[in-house]
Amino acid sequence: MVTNRWMHWLRRIAPFSLAALSGCAPHHMMQNFWLLNPKGIISDTQLHYMKLDVGIMLLIIVPTGLLIVWTMWRYRKAGGKGRYDPKWDHSNAIEAVVWGIPILTVAILSYYSIKAIYAVNPYNPSIISRSTSQYAKVAPLDVDVISTDWQWLFIYPKQHIATLGKLVIPAGTPIRFRLTSATVVNDFYIPQLVGMIDVMPGMRVKQSLVASHTGTYAGFSAVYSGPGFAWMTFRTQSVSPAKFHSWVQGVQKSTQHLSYADFNRVARPTINTTGKATYFSDVQAGLFDHVIMEVMNGKIFPTPMGMTESMSKYLTK
Amino acid sequence: MLVHIAGPWSPLLGRLTLSEVPYSNPILIGTFIFAALVAILVLGATTYFGKWGYVWREWLTTVDHKKIGIMYILLGLVMLFRGFVDAIMMRTQQAMAVGTHAAGHLHALHGYLTPYHFDQIYTAHGTIMILFAATPLLVGIMNIMVPLQIGARDMAYPYLNAVSLWMTVAGAALVMVSLFIGDFAHAGWFGIVPVMELPYSPGVGVDYWMWAFQLSSIGTTLGGINLLATIVKMRAPGMTWGRLPLFTWTSLSANLISLTTFPVVTTVLALLAMDRYFGTHIFTAGMGGNLMLYNDLFWIWGHPEVYFVILPAFGMMSEIIPTFSEKPLFGYMGMVLASLGIAGASWGVWLHHFFTMAGSPALNSFFSVTTMAVGIPTGVKLFNWAFTMFRGRLRFELPMMWATAALFFLLVGGLTGMMNAFTTNDYMVHNSVFVVAHFHMMLLLIVAAIFGAVNYWFPKVFGFRLEQRFGKIFFWLFAAGTAVVFIPMFALGFMGMTRRLDYIPYVQWGPLLNIEVLGIVLYVLSAVFLVAQLYVSLRDRNQNRVGTDAWGTSRSVEWMTHSPVPFYNFAVTPQINARDEWAWRREQGVGDRRPDRYEDIHMPKNTSVPLWLGLLSLGLAFALVWRIWWLAAVCSIGVLALVVIRAFNSDTDYTIPAAEVEKMEQAIHDVP
Repeated sequence: MVTNRWMHWLRRIAPFSLAALSGCAPHHMMQNFWLLNPKGIISDTQLHYMKLDVGIMLLIIVPTGLLIVWTMWRYRKAGGKGRYDPKWDHSNAIEAVVWGIPILTVAILSYYSIKAIYAVNPYNPSIISRSTSQYAKVAPLDVDVISTDWQWLFIYPKQHIATLGKLVIPAGTPIRFRLTSATVVNDFYIPQLVGMIDVMPGMRVKQSLVASHTGTYAGFSAVYSGPGFAWMTFRTQSVSPAKFHSWVQGVQKSTQHLSYADFNRVARPTINTTGKATYFSDVQAGLFDHVIMEVMNGKIFPTPMGMTESMSKYLTK
Repeated sequence: MLVHIAGPWSPLLGRLTLSEVPYSNPILIGTFIFAALVAILVLGATTYFGKWGYVWREWLTTVDHKKIGIMYILLGLVMLFRGFVDAIMMRTQQAMAVGTHAAGHLHALHGYLTPYHFDQIYTAHGTIMILFAATPLLVGIMNIMVPLQIGARDMAYPYLNAVSLWMTVAGAALVMVSLFIGDFAHAGWFGIVPVMELPYSPGVGVDYWMWAFQLSSIGTTLGGINLLATIVKMRAPGMTWGRLPLFTWTSLSANLISLTTFPVVTTVLALLAMDRYFGTHIFTAGMGGNLMLYNDLFWIWGHPEVYFVILPAFGMMSEIIPTFSEKPLFGYMGMVLASLGIAGASWGVWLHHFFTMAGSPALNSFFSVTTMAVGIPTGVKLFNWAFTMFRGRLRFELPMMWATAALFFLLVGGLTGMMNAFTTNDYMVHNSVFVVAHFHMMLLLIVAAIFGAVNYWFPKVFGFRLEQRFGKIFFWLFAAGTAVVFIPMFALGFMGMTRRLDYIPYVQWGPLLNIEVLGIVLYVLSAVFLVAQLYVSLRDRNQNRVGTDAWGTSRSVEWMTHSPVPFYNFAVTPQINARDEWAWRREQGVGDRRPDRYEDIHMPKNTSVPLWLGLLSLGLAFALVWRIWWLAAVCSIGVLALVVIRAFNSDTDYTIPAAEVEKMEQAIHDVP
């Protein structure tokens, strides 16, 4: 197939272009380029399509850039060799090409873009649900995410546990997130595992991911949500399923419980500058839906006036 | 009726108390001293040289489209400086606040800016650069050049033109006032809801942002009406649509956008004001509010606004490149279609500003395709500029250097734009600094086009050319600064770094942030050479005087009248015979033919009403910010009264007799 040969060729040149974009750094530095080092199926797919997109675009951009530089050199007034034609301002053939190339490029890119959107659709990624790989057979894990000012609460409803500031997931297992916010909008983002999705108060969105490796990955809020926003990070630990099981059992022994009343304390504006994680057992059933209902009915966690004036004073308090 | 607000309130001063003046912050004290010194210098010099009468008659009360344009450009340059200082502070804060061990100064945990201060700075940076720097610079150039390009004497509504200017100035002034009284919004230039709502922004910052935005958007809407009417109704005889210069075409497209979209932002901000003043729940999270609606409405204006600022820039490039290629623009009709195409497409792409808001795949697919489709007319423009240079005789003088730099910025911005339009890429980089670097490439394209246009048209307006040597140093330092700031920023996007961080939690981002500071140093140096260029140009103006055609190869109508342009623009309204009228006349050998006879010229009279309208609007906005109801009432009544009184004034114009025109023309021709 023609497209396959195309794709093959593109796949070979695309990594070089991305390497050029990131400054041809040595290998250990390349590790810091999280988007180029995906560790999950969703992020893998996203990177695959990005390479395709960049490759196709470079096929147009590079020759155009070269054409412009060549024209500037050849037709310069001081010593250029080009023939000057002061009347030449129209050519049907060239104008057809000039419209044709962008139209064709946009058509091709649109096809791949739509394909990619369905592949990583947060609500039902076809790359997982339709894949013949082992992941489609593993029972998924449900995690409910609630963002507060300015922390991340992860509830494991079936396990009746919750964590604050740390997400632990089993590798090779599809994770199905439901997400909401107790206060303002945040963006849930784990660069090496999954792209961004808005976490909105009074609403429920979904996200899905599968971590293909074990390891620790950074996650954080990607959209401004107030003064504590820069500290709104969490660690994502991808562990083996066996380890995950024992971790769950450990957390289930935690002495801290989480009812809705406890949640109201947790959700008070807090800036976690130390990155400390907290664990809860015995989480109230249906807490996630309850938080959404309360927000819809007008529950808010206002930012204190004092915080708007001097945060450092507020922190040392 | 009115919503309850935290903190003290008094009938006389509203929320205003002495503690709202940030006298404890050394950064703001320094800024205040600087601003006060500049103000004393300017006002003092005006008084010392006895120029108040001149300033009042020739500038503050003028309705001359050229002078209004110049004031727009001055406003744009002042605000560009302010926005640039904001940029310096952001870059240095981020470079200083890397990791938990980074030192903190001035009450900040890390770096020297507290989160709220930093957040206000980037919000101000964005608001200022888009609304009070790029827009006034572009509107100013359109104001000066469009009537000249179509052979008109002034805008269709000269009085309205002055109102637009003073509304925009009032908006900019309100932003500046927020520096020293109270604070500014902290939730981004486009307003993130519900952070912008009272519970999360209890101070006056959002109110400042909202009313400054409103004032400028009123100014821009009125300006759009004016330019559209001018282009449609005021063209000289023979200036058919097929002969309209490209810059005028792009101005037309841009103002079609502004006329149709600015009312949307006016409405959305009014709705937000209802939430903040009357306690409605339009964009709140709970109580039936819908915060997603804000994003929809805002970006239905916001994305067209992007093309509102880029289209005139494209027009400037389309004027400069043919002049310095010494041949006509390639594919004129294609360029016209592409301009209108971009304006049309601008309406159908807004959702790409929130691809991550969990829309359905079908919805995201639609907007991904429409967004990419913008690449078609843009690509056509790029190719047509390249083919304009092809078979030309290129002279790389300053305007051409800026125009070609803009071409290369467009290549990078276009590539990265197509990456963002590809929805799944957007999931990865949506709120990252990659997107920030992308739109800065596009905005720097606009800045480059503006500097090109300023160098290109300066001799037309002032009668002498800008100095070239310092100008070229400025160009190269600016280009180098752009590369050193934004290449690392693109790379940081791939490292996962997101926007608006006052503290950098991941230390591996540090080194590239330090490199960005180096780029900022280059920008600062470049600004020094810009000032040097302007100073030397002004000092040596008598050596650099030009005739009607400053570049010898210019093509359009504005080059047919004197440089500097007399206040009546053209002694006799020109008859247009060809698409590039001036080039045509040059070729026919009739370029310097003088009119056989002169006619009476009908001109608008100066008026101080627009200035008072601007001041009263500023007072109204300030009163609303601080909830000083009596002042708001007084200012509203003042505005209404002035508008009504002006409406009954029929003595708004005068006629210059033909004999006097001839005398003035003779005087211009007699100057050696």
